[in-house]
Amino acid sequence: MVTVFFVATGILYAFSCALFIALLVRGNDRVGKTATGFLAAAAVAHIGFLLADYVLADRVPFGDIRPTLSLMSLLVVLGYLVALSTHRAAVLGAFITPVTLLFFVLASLGRSVEPVPHEVRSVLLPLHIGANVLGIVTFTFAFAVAVAYVIQEHLLRKKRVGGLFKRLPALDVLDSLGLRLLTIGFPLLTVGIVTGGLWATRLDRGGSVISGAQGFALIAWVIFAAVLLLRVAAGWRGRRAAIGTLLGYACALVVVAGYLVRGGSA
Amino acid sequence: MAAAHELVVVGVSHHTAPLAVRERIAVNDEQVPHELRAIMTDGAAAEGMLISTCNRVELYGTATDTDQLVNRARSYLRSRAAPEAIDGFLYERRGPDAAGHAFRVVSSLDSMVVGEPQILGQMKRAFAVAEAAGAVGTVLGHCFRRAFAVAKRVRTETLVGAGAVSVSSIAVSLAQQIFGDLIGRRVLLVGAGKMGEAAVKSLAKQNARLVVLNRSPERAEELARNWSGEARPLEHLAQELVRADVVIASTMSDRFIITDEMMRSVVKARRRRPLFLIDISVPRNIDPRVEELDNTFLYDLDDLQKIAGDNLAARKREVAAAEAIVAKEAASFARWHRSLAVTPTIVALRERVRETVLAELQKTLPRMSSLSEDDRKVLEAMCEGIVNKLVHRPLTELKKGASEPEGPVIIDIARRLYGIDLSTPSIAPAQPPEDPKKEPGP
Repeated sequence: MVTVFFVATGILYAFSCALFIALLVRGNDRVGKTATGFLAAAAVAHIGFLLADYVLADRVPFGDIRPTLSLMSLLVVLGYLVALSTHRAAVLGAFITPVTLLFFVLASLGRSVEPVPHEVRSVLLPLHIGANVLGIVTFTFAFAVAVAYVIQEHLLRKKRVGGLFKRLPALDVLDSLGLRLLTIGFPLLTVGIVTGGLWATRLDRGGSVISGAQGFALIAWVIFAAVLLLRVAAGWRGRRAAIGTLLGYACALVVVAGYLVRGGSA
Repeated sequence: MAAAHELVVVGVSHHTAPLAVRERIAVNDEQVPHELRAIMTDGAAAEGMLISTCNRVELYGTATDTDQLVNRARSYLRSRAAPEAIDGFLYERRGPDAAGHAFRVVSSLDSMVVGEPQILGQMKRAFAVAEAAGAVGTVLGHCFRRAFAVAKRVRTETLVGAGAVSVSSIAVSLAQQIFGDLIGRRVLLVGAGKMGEAAVKSLAKQNARLVVLNRSPERAEELARNWSGEARPLEHLAQELVRADVVIASTMSDRFIITDEMMRSVVKARRRRPLFLIDISVPRNIDPRVEELDNTFLYDLDDLQKIAGDNLAARKREVAAAEAIVAKEAASFARWHRSLAVTPTIVALRERVRETVLAELQKTLPRMSSLSEDDRKVLEAMCEGIVNKLVHRPLTELKKGASEPEGPVIIDIARRLYGIDLSTPSIAPAQPPEDPKKEPGP
C-alpha cells in the first residue's frame, strides 16, 4: 500500500514537473492548467503516502530526515498551490517542482535511524525541526524566484525579449518577492541553527568542534545575512541578491544532503 | 426570380493606393452620416457603411442590382478626387468575397501592420455610425456582427496580434516586464520632439508619471501639459535620472548627453534600483557602456527595430491560421446568405397550400348546415393541421437545400411545382425585424 502511494506520488510529481518545464519553454495555458492539476493530484497522493507510512509502517513524519524531507516537499507543493490560486505564477513551477521531486526521491534513499531517545528529548527539538523545515520551504520559494530573476535579467540584458522573457514575471516583482521570502526565511533559519546548536551542546556530541552540516548551515546563514544586510546598507539588489540567494540555498541543500548521507536524525 | 440583397465593397487601401490618393478621398467622421444618406437616396443601395481611416476608404453596401451599386460607389469615390487620379486604385468585391474581405479587414489581416488592434475599433465605430444613420439592415448587420466575432476568434485562437511592433508599445511592453505595474512609475523624457512624444504616449496612458526635460522650456511645458506631466530644465538631468524608472532619450544632440560617468554616480545614488533607458535618437544620446552597469537596461533604436521585426515576423507566421478561420467564417456567411433567398418562397408556398385547403373547406361548409360553430372550428383546425403536415417536408428540404450552392435551382423547382410567382416583391433583407425604424428610406 505504502509503495503504491509512493510510486503514484513520484509519477505524478514527475509528470507535473515535465509539464511545468514545457510551460516555461513553450508557453500554453492549457499545459499550465494540466501541470497544476497533476501537481494537486500528486499532493493528494503524497498525503496518502505519508498517512499510509504513519499508520502501516509506524513512521512519524518528523521522526528522522527521510519523512521530514518528504513532508518538506509536500509543504512546498501545498504552499505553491495556495500561491497559484491568487497569483499568476504558474511558470515558477518549472523551478519549484524539480526541487520537490528531488526531495521526494531523496527521502526514499535516506537511511532511517532510531527515534530520538526519550531522555534527550526537549522542547528545543520540535522548535529546531519546525523552524528548519519552514525555513527550507521558504528558501525553496526564494530559490525559484531567484532562478527566474537570473534568467529574466540575462534575457533582458541580451535583448532576447521573446516568448520565455514574456512568460516570466516582471523583474522588479521577482526582486521584491525574493526579498520578502528571505526576510521570512532568515529568522526561521536563525532559530533552527540556534536551537540545533543548543540541543547539540546538550547532547554533547561534537564537543567544541562543529560538524560539516552545521558548518554549511552557518555558511548559508552568513550568506543570507549578507544578502539582507548589503541590500539595506549598500543597495545590493537584483542579480547580486538573486545569486546570493542561490548560493545560500545551495549551502542549505548541502546540510540536508549531509543529514541524508549520515542518516542522522532531523 | 427575386434574389436576396448582395453585399458589395468598393474602396481603396494602402495595398492599392498611395497616401496622396487616400488622403484626397478620406471622409471626416462628422460627414459620414450625411454621405451615407446621399449615396442611398437614389435607391442604388439598400444598406450602406463607410469606413475612412488613414489606410483605407471603403464603402460597403447591399443591393439586388450589384452592378448599379458598384457604379454608384465608384462614381461617389471618384467625385471626391479627380477621376483620373483615382481610377486604377479602386477595388471591388461582391457577395461572399465582400464578406471575406470585411472579415479580413476587421481581423487586421489586411492592415499595414498585420495584427494592429486599432482597425477593429475603427470598424466598430463606422458600423455604429451607419447603424445610427439607419443604413444597416439584415445583411450588412449580420456581416459585421459576424466580422467582429471573427476578429475576436482570430485574436484569441492565433498569435496574429501578439508582440509589440511600435516603439511606443515595445517601450510599454518592456517596462512592464521590468516593473510590472507602471502606475505611478516615473518616466523621464529627454527631448520633447515628435518622436519622443510618440514614444512616451503609451507609457503615459498606463498612468505613469511623465517628466519632460528639454532645452526649450516652452515646448517641454506644452508636452507635459498634454500628458499631465511635469516639465523640468535640462540642467536637472542628473537628479531626475536618480528618481526615474524609465528614461526615453530623444534629442537632436550630436554627443552623449547621458554619459557613462554620469550614470555611474546615478546608479549609486539610486541604490541600484532598476532603470530602463530607451535611446531613440540618431546619433545616440546615451553612452552604450551604460548597459554594463548594475540593474541598468539600455535599448537603442536598432534594438527596438529588431524586436519590432521579430514580432512582426511572428505575427506573419500566424497569418495562415488566421486566414483559415476567416475562410471558414466567410463560407458560413455565404451559406447564411443563400438561405435568405428561400424565405419568400417558404412564405408563399405555405400560403399557397393553405389558401387551397381553406378554399375547399369554404366550398364544402355551406353544404353541411347541420354543423355547430364548435364543429366548424374543429374542421378549420383540422385543415390547418393538414396544411402543416403537407408543407413540413417540402419546407424542411427547401431550408436545407437553400444554403447549398445549388440552392437557387432547388428554390426554382419548388416555385414551379407550386406555381409561385415572386417577380414583384423583393426579399428586402434590409429590414431588421427587431428594429424596423432603422430601415433606410429609398
